[in-house]
Amino acid sequence: MEIEQTPTNVATSDTNSTSEYLDAEGESDPDEGVADGVDEQDDYYQEQEREAEAQRHSIISELRGELGTRTGNALSPDPGAESGQSKDLAASVESLALSASASVKTEDSGNTVDDEPDHDYQNDSAWCGQKKHIFILSEAGKPIYSLHGSEDKLVTLFGVIQALVSFVQHSQQDAITSIHARGIKFVFIQRNSLILVAASRTNMSVQQLQRQLSDVYNQILSTLTYSHMSKIFEKRKNFDLRRLLSGSERLIYNLLSNDSSSKRVSNNVFDFLTNSIRVFPLATSTRSNIISAIQANCSKIKDLVFAVLIANNQLIALVRMKKYSIHPADLRLIFNLIECSQSFKTYENWTPICLPIFDKNGYLHAHVSYLAEDCQACLLLLSVDRNAFFTLSEAKARITEKLRKNHCLDAINEGLQQPYNDAKLYEQVLSVPELRHFLYKPKTTAQLLCPMLRHPYKSLEEFERLEAVYCNILHRIHNNARPLKLIYEVREREIVLAWVTATYELYAVFEPIVDKATVIKYVDKLIKWIEKEYDVYFIRTHATF
Amino acid sequence: MATRKKSLLKVIILGDSSVGKTSLMNQYVNKRFSNQYKATIGADFCTKEVVVDDRVVTMQIWDTAGQERFQSLGVAFYRGADCCVLVYDVTAPNSFKNLDSWRDEFLIQASPRDPEHFPFVVLGNKVDLDNRQVSTRRAQQWCQSKNDIPYYETSAKEGINVEMAFQTIAKNALQQEAEAEIYNEFPDQIRLNSDRNNRPGNADNCQC
Repeated sequence: MEIEQTPTNVATSDTNSTSEYLDAEGESDPDEGVADGVDEQDDYYQEQEREAEAQRHSIISELRGELGTRTGNALSPDPGAESGQSKDLAASVESLALSASASVKTEDSGNTVDDEPDHDYQNDSAWCGQKKHIFILSEAGKPIYSLHGSEDKLVTLFGVIQALVSFVQHSQQDAITSIHARGIKFVFIQRNSLILVAASRTNMSVQQLQRQLSDVYNQILSTLTYSHMSKIFEKRKNFDLRRLLSGSERLIYNLLSNDSSSKRVSNNVFDFLTNSIRVFPLATSTRSNIISAIQANCSKIKDLVFAVLIANNQLIALVRMKKYSIHPADLRLIFNLIECSQSFKTYENWTPICLPIFDKNGYLHAHVSYLAEDCQACLLLLSVDRNAFFTLSEAKARITEKLRKNHCLDAINEGLQQPYNDAKLYEQVLSVPELRHFLYKPKTTAQLLCPMLRHPYKSLEEFERLEAVYCNILHRIHNNARPLKLIYEVREREIVLAWVTATYELYAVFEPIVDKATVIKYVDKLIKWIEKEYDVYFIRTHATF
Repeated sequence: MATRKKSLLKVIILGDSSVGKTSLMNQYVNKRFSNQYKATIGADFCTKEVVVDDRVVTMQIWDTAGQERFQSLGVAFYRGADCCVLVYDVTAPNSFKNLDSWRDEFLIQASPRDPEHFPFVVLGNKVDLDNRQVSTRRAQQWCQSKNDIPYYETSAKEGINVEMAFQTIAKNALQQEAEAEIYNEFPDQIRLNSDRNNRPGNADNCQC
């Protein structure tokens, strides 16, 4: 790379040049006012000066702020190349950042009527102190989405991102993967005329952040479909995609705010980290009754591809057309849609939804409704026929009726209200009080079992540490360059175990005082118990219509 | 659409080095001028909100570097522009001659849908100086020959015509945008039963 020619390089890898440009860019000119004879009011002038500073952003000054003076191989095209030392950096900066982000801005919907029209996010400590930013833009550099703050006010930043991406693309014939600086990871992916960027102080690895970006990309496809979006950008590279996404910002927001960076303490983030979904625990007889009720009322409906029943962000049952199946990434989009659409609770709904891994070019049409007012489980009937609403609506009514008759609604409610099976799991865990939390994922399905969060991980601060522990060991276990089978670490605050066998992956966190022999004994006990209760917590194969 | 966002226009400023691109932008956005010359490195970005026909529009202005050594970087910026501003210096005939190649280069790299009608605006800058070399007529002729590109003579220093030029830029760009309003075709129905079943080798092994 030639340093002199390229502003991106200047800021990331050459401190000398940076300071040179600092002089050129940062100083105000002594003769400025005099030059055009406007030397009257000093105050007025300073005002202008400040405004100018705020509004004018060269690549240099952007990078100066974000990247600082870190030297060395900051641009790493290889995701595996991130070094251990940057992790230490990350840890130290993070604590600082936490205290800086006193107030968190949450934007539930994209209906941004700006109450602060001239808000300058880039000089706002709360904005800058966020643990995670996500930016989505078109290849032209036009803003599409920002997780925090109104993307409208960040147009200059989006320009800089586009410059970085296209510089690497054009002059190096390469693609930028990540930049590491001051404990912040900047992760980039490019998909179909979109550029998605994460800037994160969290403990997620580059690959984990990439998966998150890819989930967001899928969410956009789910709204627009790949073919539609491609066609638009083919015709008009300058298209403002916000026009078509308006209303679905809340879906993107919800998808991205599952982790501790949004101050949420929940198991949801582990679904994403392990690329799986969770199953609603049910007695095997109940589950098979539910499945047969769905089969009996749906098997004759042409073009019905999937029936999905979920409650509390967990899968109760999935019935599918022969030969077809749903990928966990697609299911997560469905979960996300249900989780942030309260209106489904009151109305039957008919909505097109694209499941990008199933078919990125077309919509499935979903009949979405909750089983009954007194049973908050949500049923989705997904068909390729856009005129199937009434057929599916009738089928749903019959399914509910049947489930009410054979007391499956009660069973679901029991599970929802008094999580009996979850309690049993809890009990099991409690009989091993030193086992604080675990993730168990069978090799044959993308389903995850994990117990409710309990002390000490109910507090945000502790939960953040747990999340970091899992991010870290999951990353090391699944490291492409050097995958591991077993990790056992005694840390200051907990003992961490990761174990991959031919049949399952287990990640567990213990009290720090337990000895190794005891840990092995407990793990053994846990595994035996899971094997015994397997069909309550997992669905071995999904039935077909 | 329920909540229509403010329109956003991407505007690219092109022209030889030291014709006054950055100064024009500065005059327009910040209402100030400096006699000192600082070459732009790569590109500068700034933003300004304008009102066009009662609509508030955000302009995302890309002030590119005129120096040749940044050219390879520049082309990456062109795509997806809504308007291109070509600037020359009325005291430097070469900068005027080069408008042709700036325009061509832009059209090649940005490859807009309808190059004939892509909105350009030409600005002849530095009309406050005495040693003018390019006549208004000559410039106007060139603009006419290129499908009637609007032409303004400006002074970034005195603030002459700057506001008006940018207003035209915003207006013309917006017109372009309005033409392509509708993209609401619904994709074809998914065809089942063909052999396009789920991709076999998905890295993340498993289905649920």
